[in-house]
Amino acid sequence: MSEPVTLTINEKQITVPAGTLLIEAARQNDIRIPSFCYVKDLTLQAACRMCLVEVEKAPKLQVACTTVCMNGMVVRTESKPVIEARRAVLEFILTNHPLDCPVCDKGGECELQDMTFKYGPGTSRFIEEKEHQPEQQVSPIIFFDAPRCILCYRCVRICDEGMDVKALEPIGRGVKTIIGTGHDTLDCEDCGNCIDICPVGAITSNQYRYKTRPWELKYFGTVCTHCSNGCKTTLSVRNNEIIRANNRDRTGINEEFLCVKGRFGFDYVGSGDRLKTPLIRRGGTLQPASWEEALGYVADRLGEIREHTGPDSIGALGSPRLTNEENYLLQKFMRQIVGTNNLDHRRTADYASLEVALARNQKPEALLNVDQIKTAPTLLVIGDDPTTQQPLVAFNIRFAVRRHEARVFIINSKPVKLLRQAVASLILKEGSEAALVAYLARREGSTLDKVAAETGLPGELIETFEKELRASSDVAIIFGAEVRGPAIHDLVDFGASLAGITRYLALSDFPNSRGALDMGVVPNLLPGYAPLGGESASARLEEVWRGSIARQHGLSEPEMMEAISTGRMKAMLLFAANPLENPSNPLDRSSGPALGATLGKLDLLVVSDLFLTETARQAHVVLPAASFAEKEGTMTNCGGQVQRLQRAVLPPGEAKSDLDMIVDLARACGALNWMHGPWSSVLKEIALVNPGYGEVTPRALLQGGIPQTTLAASREALPDIADLNALAESIRSNRSRSLYASGSLALHSHTLVQLEPRAAVQQDFVERYQM
Amino acid sequence: MNLLREVVDASVALVKGYGMTLRHVFRPAITENYPDVLPKFEERYRGIHELQRDENGLEKCVACFLCSAACPANAIYIEAAENTEKERFSQAERYAKVYNIDYGRCIFCGFCVEACPTDAITHGHKFEFAIYDTKDLIYTKDMLLVPDSRKEKGRKASDQAA
Ligand code: SF4
Ligand code: SF4
Ligand code: SF4
Ligand code: SF4
Ligand code: SF4
Ligand code: FES
Repeated sequence: MSEPVTLTINEKQITVPAGTLLIEAARQNDIRIPSFCYVKDLTLQAACRMCLVEVEKAPKLQVACTTVCMNGMVVRTESKPVIEARRAVLEFILTNHPLDCPVCDKGGECELQDMTFKYGPGTSRFIEEKEHQPEQQVSPIIFFDAPRCILCYRCVRICDEGMDVKALEPIGRGVKTIIGTGHDTLDCEDCGNCIDICPVGAITSNQYRYKTRPWELKYFGTVCTHCSNGCKTTLSVRNNEIIRANNRDRTGINEEFLCVKGRFGFDYVGSGDRLKTPLIRRGGTLQPASWEEALGYVADRLGEIREHTGPDSIGALGSPRLTNEENYLLQKFMRQIVGTNNLDHRRTADYASLEVALARNQKPEALLNVDQIKTAPTLLVIGDDPTTQQPLVAFNIRFAVRRHEARVFIINSKPVKLLRQAVASLILKEGSEAALVAYLARREGSTLDKVAAETGLPGELIETFEKELRASSDVAIIFGAEVRGPAIHDLVDFGASLAGITRYLALSDFPNSRGALDMGVVPNLLPGYAPLGGESASARLEEVWRGSIARQHGLSEPEMMEAISTGRMKAMLLFAANPLENPSNPLDRSSGPALGATLGKLDLLVVSDLFLTETARQAHVVLPAASFAEKEGTMTNCGGQVQRLQRAVLPPGEAKSDLDMIVDLARACGALNWMHGPWSSVLKEIALVNPGYGEVTPRALLQGGIPQTTLAASREALPDIADLNALAESIRSNRSRSLYASGSLALHSHTLVQLEPRAAVQQDFVERYQM
Repeated sequence: MNLLREVVDASVALVKGYGMTLRHVFRPAITENYPDVLPKFEERYRGIHELQRDENGLEKCVACFLCSAACPANAIYIEAAENTEKERFSQAERYAKVYNIDYGRCIFCGFCVEACPTDAITHGHKFEFAIYDTKDLIYTKDMLLVPDSRKEKGRKASDQAA
């Protein structure tokens, strides 16, 4: 069975692995068989009959999308009967199809148009009245036009198999069949995958509705910056405005998949509330100023404060929203020019402990990336809710289950939606994940009785779960923010005791969470997870940077806040950081006042952001920043895959990228050897100081590659584990927020804000399915 | 003898010549009195475009962009939008919010007219373009759209009533 088979298509002999579908075999050999309903990786449907081909010795034409290649098969795809059959199929599909092309949003990228043009009849013999149904708006973002549907069931399958939402289904019979929702509205996760997978204009997007035509648009492949998965997305731009985001060319780590945030949540970029000029506080109010004024003012004040109270009275927050290059330059600015290690950012996962634990165990090949989930035979998912926090990871987990029956084990404190794919699960008390992991690793002092009491689970359940898990091999462990600090060391110890190669993926919430840590935007870690005290790493930095760096210990974000309230910290630089936002509920401003009063004690607060956030409102200087679609640079996703942001539109007003801003600021502070350069020159420097970025070259990125970072920490110079554990304390997850949330930017996305109330409906569904 | 012949021949020629002149005096003139009188073109003359309306006075254009796609000179710029219950511009769901033709580019090939599925864009017979600034060669929708005859009528009726 596993022997490759040889067959002939159009007089060409080809050899393919056994079990290959005829349509795939043809495609792999550049023979185009037209199809509508066939979609690679979804179940077979054979509904449209467009792929008919002639197979010698078969009595009738065969559908290539379900025929498996056999030895000695002789196939013709362009013979007369095939051409006639295609024409007939198209004529049949078109009998009820409206002549809507001039107003149909799919026009210009419609598969039915293309097929009719290429294979179809020029005219129709059908003169009877067509079956008509009115167009319906089924959700805030989706329109359904039944007469245009060709019943290929692609949407039904992507919604069921891909998303596990099952919101679409065929209803009715014969010509009256429509794709329906079962009720008036479409209650789903709003991913919009059905819009793009639909070959015709039956399912269309409200955002793109009647705006333009695909040939009028410019396309920019870039990265979605709403979560840490880093889906590739293609922005369609007209007149410096982003019209839509999708990924029709199916390149990148996510192929055609995008979740609601990636597909619809880009609209904050064009928001009228964007900051357009720098602002300086004069006489109590923020007033517009020029860049020279603003940066000159910041540089002067920084100089004075440094003079009076020393460099350690100055601190900075970077952000998982900034590119690698920006984060890198920010820490370089602080360490070299200001001379302090008071550096931090909003952390949602403990990559540092994972690096160190793997380096200690010498497991360089043990990092799992987002793609590899699809092929993993066993998956252990601990904590977080990937369905809402990391939708691509959830999509890939479902893929693994669907395509090769991967066994999924789940440990979570809530009944998450992924339980439906799980073979075994433990729903434990909130916060007891670490105790369970410690037990699995057989940590000293951890007994079954104790862990049963702590997790609130019966001991036998834990035992059977563990037995099942240990019976599997090559486990891929995916864990959320619940597992951090010492628990990660336990987890890696446990993983080492499993059969085969165990690999790990730490889930985080924001786009460049991993990159920000890789770049060392934390107090006591240099780029590449090198310890601050480690002589070799510091010396290398000083050599590359041509200057000395601060060696004294720095403060983390909570410590900096503490230092501000005691008056030790005088100045803060915040780049894309909004500490006043309540992470678990941005609409709740109650935590603001206390922290706000703290920030009010600062002599200098500089904030760079896209919007006048609650933190920016308190600032002395506000700098308008460019969004992800307005700048270039690289982002590292949670699996260590590095991708490139491409500039698609121009920033509003005088806004500029944080990269340019930081260089300008350094120059204003007198560091005239800091030059403006493209992201690629910074990336080259990063590769010099972070061994994990050895493969990450501008050339690889510009050729469209997705380079993978490697383990950067080395066993010779590991950071102090107590330091890392202390850092892990201040990790704050975004878990309690919904599918539509992603930091403060999503609050300015009109579409996501509009959809937010639908999160309750989804939660309801999850709970009902569990029952 | 010879002299007589010459005289007769000359007189005949004179009469013939004056006769011709006389005949033309009574014929209609073919000289065009442009710009006092505008020239008349053949039916299919390709002049400045007109955006047509249907029998209900609605714009025929549905903003399908086919004319701009067909245009070899890239002269047509369109922005589409959706009709609403309150404001209906065209028969179908969408209409052209912005419709510009740049006559600095247009080569009057007629491809746009051929491409239009709704017969919305046609060539009119206007042809006068002289301007001082090339920017003024960009004709916007309000310049291209034919007036709504029903509204005109309505207005005249109400004018008379007043
Ligand atoms: S679905 Fe395609 S063929 Fe049908 S009306 Fe729309 S563009 Fe035309
Ligand atoms: S709505 Fe589109 S994707 Fe769904 S069955 Fe109809 S044609 Fe296929
Ligand atoms: S899964 Fe994450 S990266 Fe992908 S589209 Fe959604 S928010 Fe963006
Ligand atoms: S007449 Fe030709 S050049 Fe002029 S707008 Fe039409 S298509 Fe373009
Ligand atoms: S004028 Fe005709 S071809 Fe051009 S957009 Fe309007 S309907 Fe389409
Ligand atoms: S692609 Fe084969 S039947 Fe539709």
